[in-house]
Amino acid sequence: MRQLNAMDKVNEMNHLSEEDMILLAYGEGGDSAARHLESCPECAGAYAALKGDLKLVEQVEPPQRDEAYGERVWLAIAGSLPVYRPARRRWLGLTPVWLRGLSYAAACAVLVAGAFYAGRLWEQGAKKQPAVAANRTPQAAQKQGRQPIVVVVLGDHLDRSERLLVELKHADPDSAELAAPLRDEARTLLAANRICRHKAADEDDPELGTALGHLDRLLEQMANQPGGLNGAAIARLQNEMNTDGLLFEVRVLRSRIPAEQHAGSANEKGGTI
Amino acid sequence: MFRMGKDDHDAIRAVLAGDKDAYGALVVRHSASLFRVAFRITGNEADADDVVQDAFMRGYRKLESFESRSNFSTWIYRIAVRCALDKIESRKGLAASRVADETDLGVLDVQVMDESAGPERILLSGEMTALRQVAMGSLTATEQSAFVLRHMENRTTEEIGAALGIQPNAAKQAVYRAVHKLRQRLAPLRANA
Repeated sequence: MRQLNAMDKVNEMNHLSEEDMILLAYGEGGDSAARHLESCPECAGAYAALKGDLKLVEQVEPPQRDEAYGERVWLAIAGSLPVYRPARRRWLGLTPVWLRGLSYAAACAVLVAGAFYAGRLWEQGAKKQPAVAANRTPQAAQKQGRQPIVVVVLGDHLDRSERLLVELKHADPDSAELAAPLRDEARTLLAANRICRHKAADEDDPELGTALGHLDRLLEQMANQPGGLNGAAIARLQNEMNTDGLLFEVRVLRSRIPAEQHAGSANEKGGTI
Repeated sequence: MFRMGKDDHDAIRAVLAGDKDAYGALVVRHSASLFRVAFRITGNEADADDVVQDAFMRGYRKLESFESRSNFSTWIYRIAVRCALDKIESRKGLAASRVADETDLGVLDVQVMDESAGPERILLSGEMTALRQVAMGSLTATEQSAFVLRHMENRTTEEIGAALGIQPNAAKQAVYRAVHKLRQRLAPLRANA
């Protein structure tokens, strides 16, 4: 009790800091701070000023989304989500103990045999593997029931992005017929770019993630320009979005992809990320 | 179209068992609330829409790490806040030099307002909104997110820390810094308020 009285006296003597007042304004200040305000006109005045300033930052009311919004979000992302594979088979839990033991023994035997056979295959096929990986398409990988890894042909994506950036850089803002193809290509690339960015984040590749983030910003502006992509918008993007720097970043990224993954025919370009 | 009767945990179990479409029910159920916080942090609709999609995609890929004791809406909300933080970080990075120019207080000059409602007042209101936007733009991504969560979403310090992936004390400091900076930036409005 004596200790509390001593603290009260200290509170009466020391004025509240701005931090104390901010806490108090958001309902996290202590009782002692509130009591101090009652007895200190100076702090009460400062607190009222703080509350007034906070009122200036008005609550932002987000625009309403209709009932179909969630479904539109789902339709937009569903195509790029892999299917999870069930972790285990539940029927094992319902079988008698002796049968379960037998099942485990059989499974172990199959595993050992499978590992041996896989080892043999691995040795034989090791040299061919890069070519196989380079030729595999995302659809083929998913059909084979692999782990839920999003496979994207990064090399091809970067090639197309580079072409788009070059076209944007040299586009004549007065030429109306260029705008629609640029916008369509940007829309196509935007979805692939998003998947690449997620994969880069998963694999902790900040350089790739940052560059793709910059690219994302430009593609988004090209794809979703209010009122459509027109000459004025193209001129603005050329001036504001640092297309030269972005082009350089894309070329650096492309140079990181091993040669065997983007050599060969156009259809065989790219690697998996 | 979606099994709305199922609760979130049933839907998650179904997704992990291979029923991808069950995730659609979660997306439908939580999109609007994620959009609200995403809009408040990013400040524009297009970015907020992107954040919502990114959050659900990121959430789907991390679904195996979701703990059944947790609340899905809290979990996905935190992911959305991180996505929004990433979004404004990348935006601020791109526009750093431009923001530096625009936030020069010397450039901003707010006229003293007249109490009558009329064209001048509407114009002034636009200037005030612009000044508020510039003030918010002067905050770091973390400060801006922490302030929005505190001021507009009424989240506690602990919740802000958890959402932003920082310690509660760091979240508290981020809110302090944000309020301090905003008060400095909004000083021209104070006389007119």
